Amino acid sequence: MSSVTVKIPTPLRPLTSGQAEVKVEGATVGEILQKLDAQFRGFGDRILDDGKNVKRFVNVFVNEDNIRDKEDLDTEVKAGDTISILPSIAGGL
Amino acid sequence: MITIPASLLRRVYDHTEASYPYECCGLMIGAIGENKEVHAFRTCKNLNTERAHDRYDMDPLDMLRVEREFENSPWDIIGIYHSHPDHPSRPSQTDTDRAWPAYSYVIISVQKGTVATAQSWVLNEGERKFYEEPLITGDSK
Repeated sequence: MSSVTVKIPTPLRPLTSGQAEVKVEGATVGEILQKLDAQFRGFGDRILDDGKNVKRFVNVFVNEDNIRDKEDLDTEVKAGDTISILPSIAGGL
Repeated sequence: MITIPASLLRRVYDHTEASYPYECCGLMIGAIGENKEVHAFRTCKNLNTERAHDRYDMDPLDMLRVEREFENSPWDIIGIYHSHPDHPSRPSQTDTDRAWPAYSYVIISVQKGTVATAQSWVLNEGERKFYEEPLITGDSK
């Protein structure tokens, strides 16, 4: 098991009792996010579709890599990695 | 309420005017709380090149870089600014559809290349509706 740091963006911090980062153990991004969902009620609903894919308007990075360019939720993590959950920001006229 | 030092806001305006007639966007960094204070901003790339005149899609890598830059500071990403070329500084349906709670969304109306108005908005997630918050232009620091 690898202990990674997960960075929580401002809009999701009400779900993590205001914590800006959380340490979680797991082997893949999916496992990490499932553990966060178990720890913080409603967390998974905000970032996962049916618990299987990251929602379209959410970006998840492992260190500098977008998991969509890797193995999505199957992307492996190693001890000391940083997972950043970032809202997709867009709009227009 | 959100407070932005006048000198910072002027530089944000410069970004929106230089980008005209296209939309531009950026992140505001500062202290979280009921009364937000902006201490810095960073310009971000608009990835929507096909409809840059009326859409913006912030480069997530820019957001990641900003998060990393300020991760050991007392500040956080507290809001987003973007321009509305030749349109009012009110949120559009697209803005509302794509908005996240907690952030301040500062919208800057640029009319014929010059900033006309700026307003700040916060999403009420339950209603999926934006409400205006006071935008205070603080003293330059």
